[in-house]
Amino acid sequence: MVTVTATGMAMPRETVKVSRNIYKPYLMTIVDMRDETHDTRTLRLQFKDPEVAKTFDWKPGQFAQYSVFGVGECVFTIANSPTRKGYIECTFRQVGKVTSALRDMEVGQTIGFRGPYGNWFPVEEWEGKRLYFVGGGIGTVALRGVMQYCLDNRKLYDEILILNAARTVADLVYKSEMDEWARVDGVTLVKAVDPGGETPDWDGKVGLAPNVFEELKPTPENAILVTCGPPIMIRFMLLAAERLGFKPEQVYTTLENRMKCGLGKCGRCNVGPYYVCKDGPVFTAAQLAKLPKDF
Amino acid sequence: MLRKRLTSENLNKWVDSLIASGLRVVAPVREGGLTLFRPITSSTQIAADYTKTDLPFKEWLFPPTEVILHYRIVDGEPVLEDPEVDATKTVALFLRPCDAAAIPILDSVFGGDYEDEFYTTRRRNLTVVGLSCTEPQPECFCTAVGLSPTSEMGSDILLTPVGDEFLVEVLTEKGEQLVNQQPDLFADAGNLTKEQVTEQAIAKMMRKESLPTFADTYADLFEHPIWEEIARKCLGCGICAYSCPTCHCYDIVDEATLFEGVRCRNWDCCGFALFTLHASGHNPRPTQAHRYRQRVLHKFAYFLQTYGQNMCVGCGRCVIKCPVGMDIYEVVRKIVQACERVGV
Amino acid sequence: MTNEVKERNWEPKIVAFVCNWCTYVGADAAGTSRMQYAPNVRIIRFPCTGRIDPLFIIRAFQHGVDGVIVSGCHPGDCHYVSGNLLARRRWIVFRKFMDFLGLDLRRLHFAWVSATEGAKWAQLVNEIVEEVRQAGPAPTWAMPTDGATKIEAPLPEIGLPPSPPPELTLQIRELARQLLGTGEVGVVVGYEKATGAREGAATPTFVNKPEDADRLIFNEHCVHNLAVYLTNPLVKKFGKVGIVAKGCDIRSIVGLIQENQIKREDVSIIGVVCNGVVVNGRLADKCVACPVKVPHIYDHLVGDPSSVQATTSGHPLDAQIAYLESLSPEERWNYWMPQFARCIRCYACRAVCPLCYCQPCIAEKHRPQWIPTSPHPQGNLAWNIVRAWHLAGRCVGCGECTRVCPVGIRLDLLNRKLAIEVERAFDYRPGFDPSAPTPLSTHRPDDKADFIR
Repeated sequence: MVTVTATGMAMPRETVKVSRNIYKPYLMTIVDMRDETHDTRTLRLQFKDPEVAKTFDWKPGQFAQYSVFGVGECVFTIANSPTRKGYIECTFRQVGKVTSALRDMEVGQTIGFRGPYGNWFPVEEWEGKRLYFVGGGIGTVALRGVMQYCLDNRKLYDEILILNAARTVADLVYKSEMDEWARVDGVTLVKAVDPGGETPDWDGKVGLAPNVFEELKPTPENAILVTCGPPIMIRFMLLAAERLGFKPEQVYTTLENRMKCGLGKCGRCNVGPYYVCKDGPVFTAAQLAKLPKDF
Repeated sequence: MLRKRLTSENLNKWVDSLIASGLRVVAPVREGGLTLFRPITSSTQIAADYTKTDLPFKEWLFPPTEVILHYRIVDGEPVLEDPEVDATKTVALFLRPCDAAAIPILDSVFGGDYEDEFYTTRRRNLTVVGLSCTEPQPECFCTAVGLSPTSEMGSDILLTPVGDEFLVEVLTEKGEQLVNQQPDLFADAGNLTKEQVTEQAIAKMMRKESLPTFADTYADLFEHPIWEEIARKCLGCGICAYSCPTCHCYDIVDEATLFEGVRCRNWDCCGFALFTLHASGHNPRPTQAHRYRQRVLHKFAYFLQTYGQNMCVGCGRCVIKCPVGMDIYEVVRKIVQACERVGV
Repeated sequence: MTNEVKERNWEPKIVAFVCNWCTYVGADAAGTSRMQYAPNVRIIRFPCTGRIDPLFIIRAFQHGVDGVIVSGCHPGDCHYVSGNLLARRRWIVFRKFMDFLGLDLRRLHFAWVSATEGAKWAQLVNEIVEEVRQAGPAPTWAMPTDGATKIEAPLPEIGLPPSPPPELTLQIRELARQLLGTGEVGVVVGYEKATGAREGAATPTFVNKPEDADRLIFNEHCVHNLAVYLTNPLVKKFGKVGIVAKGCDIRSIVGLIQENQIKREDVSIIGVVCNGVVVNGRLADKCVACPVKVPHIYDHLVGDPSSVQATTSGHPLDAQIAYLESLSPEERWNYWMPQFARCIRCYACRAVCPLCYCQPCIAEKHRPQWIPTSPHPQGNLAWNIVRAWHLAGRCVGCGECTRVCPVGIRLDLLNRKLAIEVERAFDYRPGFDPSAPTPLSTHRPDDKADFIR
């Protein structure tokens, strides 16, 4: 057992137990899992504590710190909408130490969950507007929660277009759910892969996401564009949005950065004066334009 | 504010009485060639000729490593346990005004929306007895960041040497309680003031000129090539952050066996190459120039914007301890000059 | 054996790192032949003793084992020809190092056991278990000990070095102007006067225009080892580098060339005749017995070789090392543990060392996390051992790590001890021959290791 003593300090004479430990996660059971691609998995989780399960609430766009005890924590967006309670979903790509340990876990095992953290998509301000969701690769994960919210509150919004893009067909996430989105009234689903990424039986579009988006001739009046994907895709999406006449206040994205505390103290995830974990992760293009190139 | 006076002899008596009353008294002590804040069992252990400690006081509020979560595996399931936090009633003796002023800065970080009880428990049980400076050192620049050798910020009691006794400014209730442990040792201050001492100390300071801050202008400075020139010699170690009284960045890591484990919070430094490295391999701050810029702007722009004060108290430890002599005071002035040259 | 030990029914816990082809088979043979021997040993199988990194031995002790055995094929019989010969070299130095730190050598054993020597294995284990039993439970690495040992052998009074004559500064400036002016180098790394709070000191500087050459100086305060910048991307981007280097710095440059981190032709060495630098107000220890006051390798020589003061004494640290060696292992442990407990893991020792160029550093690797990152005594001990060990046979003794350590850990003693052992065992001193193989990457058939059973 590792015993940790602060360097050089005398042992305390008096101690108290922490009463509200901001670093203590909730315990969650993995109740289901689904591989989206060869390296991306979705987990469905349920709180072990029934009280927490009953009362836990969040807003679309918020994220959490997911723990594998003994290995570490990492940040994923909460991938389901608060209109779909009773479980929490996260989708992650296996890319490092914690995600590899997470991918080794099985249904029935326990992980930790700290959250919800961060700001959220201002879905109330979007009521009555036309919504465009453009997700690139694993960026679509960041949009799923808010997309589900808008689909579940369908009557509040005008037309909805969802563009789910990826480098190749194999890299497309939520392949099994996309049809569910398309079936909702007034929702257009477009799927796209980069040139060279199509399979012989591919029936979607072929082209880079920003180009495909432009070709769909979206109208910026009374519209909101929400996009997420690799940094280079976001960059070109913002340029495309500008060309199409979207004002920067109409365009939303969500940033990610290396995080540890997730609650604005540890000093790691800042972009200029803003902590991605506290002042983000949701930012408008207008806000992004003012941020220093620190991400 | 109560104002009292105290002779040197009575100061020692007071300190010894505080120790005898069961309080943990932490003071500057010589240990292994260094001057550090350590618990004392007698006033005679206090370091003579003390100017500044080598490591800042923050290790008593925010230790270099701390367990924030315990867990055990019971029947295959993790069982979480909250750790115990040090709640010993503590008196911190003789913090210089710069070191004392760092404490409210850390309070802003660790308090707020999510109260970090590992910090606030220690903070609640701490009374700070500051000691004004009469001999500023060459690296000191507290006046450049809005403080002074006799600032009260962060102290519960501030002692200022005036002649051969001390002016005692009792600034808070906590301070009053401490004085009232031995009220007879303190006389009324009368017309004893610290004005002259302050003036004389400021006159001795070599770097008085106020430093500009960048809360409104950092965006214009951000891409300036001067950052690379300044940061080229920075080796990317952690000495500046670890010797700084206000730096508070930390890492969270798990250490475990198959059967049990801990989650630790450890000091970290934005100067390390891996500080912002994503698992994907992308690093928003890939060179030392990026990382050094973060250090300077965090202290003189971002923190100011978020919390309303500089994240630098002008103690100068980073300056004297840096292996290659990076001097943040000079750096800030150099940046401003460079930007002025191009009309920024 | 203490009563406490008897009461707790303590049994030594021993880990054996063995090679697959010889010792493992030998141990297996002992089993299949039904030889009875002590059950205290857990075996971990490696393809070859050459794969056994001393880091594993450190981790074993860190996790609380009481003893370690390392065993493999006899010299000449290695399945991979020379793995065990490289291992032997490592063990020679590592064992001395662990002894110096205060590890009771009854806890660390090395052996050659072949596939047919099952009986030898059984007997070896029995003997070693008894030795470890005599030594008792290993001191835990988790907590610092009470009461620190002090070194009762003060460093000699040395005084100050003479100030280098001003001609050196002028020569360096002229050289820099030439080298930059002709475009032979893209940048000159040298020293300039520190300003502000560090008046009187020198600080590294980078001159990439001939007209800026007058910034350069050289005096007795030029302590920094500028070779550390030769692997720095913000410096390398200028192309060929001119570097103002004292003899000690040049030894580091030789190390970088030996290890293929830079090419000889990528650097123009401005070697400076040096009578010593000032650290903490006195002549630096490394300068007292410096063998390279006149640089041994350079492209340009600055200064007058006849101005050099002859070296008249041995290395000032050797008396302190001898003192520590005269103590018991427990007393040595009580010296080093409190030293390492002070470490705050600022990694300045690593940042300032020209030969710590690994990216990522072993301390930064996290799959697995070889060295705990937390600055608790256990993590600090692991870091400090590995840092020193990774520089064995490579460290030139420039002393920078010790100068910069903010908590005053005596890294210089560790480095010097390892240098002494490498020189004693392999007649090798780092930093002189750019074409020489580094000592732990080669071997000789007559490497002497009597301690291997």
